[in-house]
Amino acid sequence: MAESSKKRRRTNTDDLPFKNKLKPDSTILQILKDFSTSSSSSSSSSKALTLQDLSLPFSCREVSDLSLSSVQSIIESLVLRIAHSILSGNGFAFDVPSRSATNQFYVPELDRIVLKDKSSLRPFANISTVRKSAITARILQLVHQLCIKGIHVTKRDLFYTDVKLFQDQIQSDTVLDDVSCMLGCTRSSLNVVAAEKGVVVGRLIFSDNGDMIDCTKMGMGGKAIPPNIDRVGDMQSDALFILLVEKDAAYMRLAEDRFYNRFPCIIVTAKGQPDVATRLFLKKMKMELKLPVLALVDSDPYGLKILSVYGCGSKNMSYDSANLTTPDIKWLGVRPSDLDKYKIPEQCRLPMTEQDIKTGKDLLEEDFVKKNPGWVEELTLMVKTKQKAEIQALSTFGFQYLSEVYLPLKLQQKDWL
Amino acid sequence: MDSSESPTETKKTKSKTPRKNKETVLKQKSPAEFFAENKNIAGFDNPGKSLYTTVRELVENSLDSAESISELPVVEITIEEIKKSKFNSMIGLIDCERVDAELYDDYETEKAREKRLAKEARAQEIQAKNAALGKKVKETPASKGIRGRGEASFYRVICKDNGKGMPHDDILNMFGRVLSGTKYGLKQTRGKFGLGAKMALIWSKMSTGLPIEISSSMRNQSYMSFCRLDIDIHKNIPHVHVHEKRENKERWRGAEIQVVIEGNWTTYRSKILHYMRQMAVITPYAQFLFKFVSDAPEKNVTIRFSRRTDVMPPVPLETKHHPSSVDLLLIKRLIAETSKQNLLQFLQHEFVNISKSHAERLIGEMGPDFSPKMALKSLTPQQLVRIHQLFRQAKFDDPNGHCLSPAGEYNLRLGIIKELHPDMVATYSGSAQVFEGHPFIVEAGVSIGGKNVKQGLNIFRFANRIPLLFEQGADVVTRTALKRINWSSYKINQLQDKIGIFVSIVSTKIPFKGTGKEYIGDDITEIASAVKYSIKQCCVQLKSKIVKKMQAREQQERKRNLSKYIPDATGAVYNVLKDMAETQLHASKKFRYGDDDGELLRKVYENLITKETLSEKLAKHVEQVDYEMALEYATQSGVSEEPRETIYIKPLETENKIIDLHSPFFVFRMFH
Repeated sequence: MAESSKKRRRTNTDDLPFKNKLKPDSTILQILKDFSTSSSSSSSSSKALTLQDLSLPFSCREVSDLSLSSVQSIIESLVLRIAHSILSGNGFAFDVPSRSATNQFYVPELDRIVLKDKSSLRPFANISTVRKSAITARILQLVHQLCIKGIHVTKRDLFYTDVKLFQDQIQSDTVLDDVSCMLGCTRSSLNVVAAEKGVVVGRLIFSDNGDMIDCTKMGMGGKAIPPNIDRVGDMQSDALFILLVEKDAAYMRLAEDRFYNRFPCIIVTAKGQPDVATRLFLKKMKMELKLPVLALVDSDPYGLKILSVYGCGSKNMSYDSANLTTPDIKWLGVRPSDLDKYKIPEQCRLPMTEQDIKTGKDLLEEDFVKKNPGWVEELTLMVKTKQKAEIQALSTFGFQYLSEVYLPLKLQQKDWL
Repeated sequence: MDSSESPTETKKTKSKTPRKNKETVLKQKSPAEFFAENKNIAGFDNPGKSLYTTVRELVENSLDSAESISELPVVEITIEEIKKSKFNSMIGLIDCERVDAELYDDYETEKAREKRLAKEARAQEIQAKNAALGKKVKETPASKGIRGRGEASFYRVICKDNGKGMPHDDILNMFGRVLSGTKYGLKQTRGKFGLGAKMALIWSKMSTGLPIEISSSMRNQSYMSFCRLDIDIHKNIPHVHVHEKRENKERWRGAEIQVVIEGNWTTYRSKILHYMRQMAVITPYAQFLFKFVSDAPEKNVTIRFSRRTDVMPPVPLETKHHPSSVDLLLIKRLIAETSKQNLLQFLQHEFVNISKSHAERLIGEMGPDFSPKMALKSLTPQQLVRIHQLFRQAKFDDPNGHCLSPAGEYNLRLGIIKELHPDMVATYSGSAQVFEGHPFIVEAGVSIGGKNVKQGLNIFRFANRIPLLFEQGADVVTRTALKRINWSSYKINQLQDKIGIFVSIVSTKIPFKGTGKEYIGDDITEIASAVKYSIKQCCVQLKSKIVKKMQAREQQERKRNLSKYIPDATGAVYNVLKDMAETQLHASKKFRYGDDDGELLRKVYENLITKETLSEKLAKHVEQVDYEMALEYATQSGVSEEPRETIYIKPLETENKIIDLHSPFFVFRMFH
């Protein structure tokens, strides 16, 4: 069995550790096929739950995709109310939902974070809220214009329309999230998008604004994920799974080695913390193609955090978690237990800093970690050994170790959590 | 050494004894010799620091002396610069002209001279060019003569106080014998090693060879003692030149010490002045007069640090040892010195916090070999070890801080206000705490603003009421202030505000680190947490003041800050309304809005409602809210929160012509 793989591979990679444990690709492919069909059948059998199906002890705030005209009319009625209020001499105030940590709640049945319905008043005639309410009014006006004209702008564009008032982009971005939460629509419905960040490569064909894109023919860099998901449609694929990669470097390695041709898959990365577009895209792929999602992240608390953002949503955008989260992501690697299992040398592991350990311990308290006993075990091991490692630590055995040995072996052993 | 020796052999012999033909002689060193050779231990690293240390030793001696008789200290320090020629005439040396110029280090060879002249010519050329171009000419500093090694500067340091004075016969040993002193008991003292003036004398002997001069007079003495002496370093005994009683016409009491040493005023000027200033902060009940006198009048300095209070901290008491702080050697010494005969009495009377019943229990715990009545002299070395072990393991009550004499919160506060004139100050005095059986008290003050204060953290450290100026970086106070205090949570800006941090630690044993005893280590958790707590307490006090100030400022600026955003808000609202009004016109058939809204949009379209209308209405609302809040603030906080300035009215110089208007309740006095 080792001979067949030897024939295919260049000889200089034979001495890689654990190489001899690899079965022929055909065997691994069969394993993957079984896995793919079983997961797609399981996901199709159970209908996705919604908030309405559960009887939670409190009410939650969720937003939905709205058409441009309805966003426009919501803004208009809000502005009319404000104008009346000003003219009657009462000033004005916005009722903005609170997005603070205390207003968040993890729902285990849905496996995502949702926003509770607490909100705070943002009056103009108060020294602590005057700035924010002025910015809110301005953002509302800008979005209203976008609605009339029916165009998309980026968050950066929005910021530059009134730099003097916004001062820095964080402020306009925060208020933008407040506004979409307040109006009850997704951020994409406001026609404001973030700059392209995520990329995708592999066995995927989809249409972007009417053009058909074949992601196997996008060169090494792959196709940038379109910032507004409504442009994307007609997804087709013969992949067996989706591989989610935390970092650009590992993504490049896999893309260059054409990993997706050896094992049919779609490779996605958001280069660190995922943006809205990548999360929406992943969700769409998962829903339409019914493929299992495997994640390759660093073996440190932040890797797991990124994984959790894909899976359960971020606290900042929890009002839209229904659209943004992709359920049932499997943690393929690099896991703390892999460090010993694959004999990663000491010099490639890094000691965790105080901050790392604290983040790790905090994560252990989070509900979305607790619900998965395997994750708890891995994270406990990480905090105990106080060691972390990046995906690149695997390069100690050669740059192609990741694509040649580590991933195939992991897939063969179905070693995911 | 023989040059024909092989290199390997040379190495070997060199490392062992450089001179093999000479027998090694067992030598003994007197304490004076030891300190002469290791003068850096006592703070005499270089001439500059020696001048600084001499000043501080003399000042601290004077303070101790005055405090010991509960007299408010008056200390006068004078530093006189002595030119080389004057110094030579003082020691009776005739000035010698240089004959063989090449012999000296600062001799300029022909080549070097050419180089210098060329450089000067070039500089002149550039200057001439600049002058021609009308540029502002920078005065080139006069080419400094190269300063040779022989150019030492000498200073006479005179310190005069109103203290206790010294008994006529003791003066010789007090100055002429190292490691003999009055401050060796277990109590809070200013001195570090008990060297004080003696080290200054050794330094003067090493650098100038001139003797020290002491004048002293005690209370009820009809005469004044005068003494001129130096020290025999090898024998560690005083070498007396003059020791006589003189007439004391003015019935003066105190001591005056004069010593001539090599020093460096230029480099240590700021350190010495800082020292004096910080000393004035921590001892506001003392009066200091500091003078620097030299031939050049522009260099002269005279600073008076005046007295601001006459409340003096009590004299620190001598205390007994705490059982958990003693070591084996100390136990042996205590046994040798005690007048007590048996073990029970020894334990009961030579230590703090051991009562009679407690002592009996302890003896019972020591084992069957021990009994309360056993004679001290009969204790074997093994038994002493057992006692020591038990002292280490057993639990004793903490020593109380009665034997300590902290500066006092009041004095610290006064000192800070007096010397820094800060905008705000808060002080805190902790209760006595213990580390390794030694009691200590931490007092802290934090000030904001003030004159001569830099932006950021200014740290003032005091140990047993003397300022610490060197090796600030590793000190427990510095570390705490920099790393463990979250200044922003007290509304203090660590980088922008002028923050003064004053921490005074007093103890029977200050755990100094480093050879120079210039800082307190950060490794003693008890002290570190006490320092942190004290600083935090000050910050908490300050925070409420700062918040009140900010609120007051907010009151004044609220209306302006609110009005600033009116154009932004109304502009946004108006633009949406305008867009709506226009689209409504185009699609007039479709009536999307209710009556009120339709009316509003019509008015907008007909320019009956403009941006200005909205702004006016909003401004009116802001004014209304501002008025309400101001009213609320006033009722909550009273009319004026600002502490009133104290005003001192001078009595009129002229003769007072007054008319008193009497009423049953008051007298109204009118001055003409």
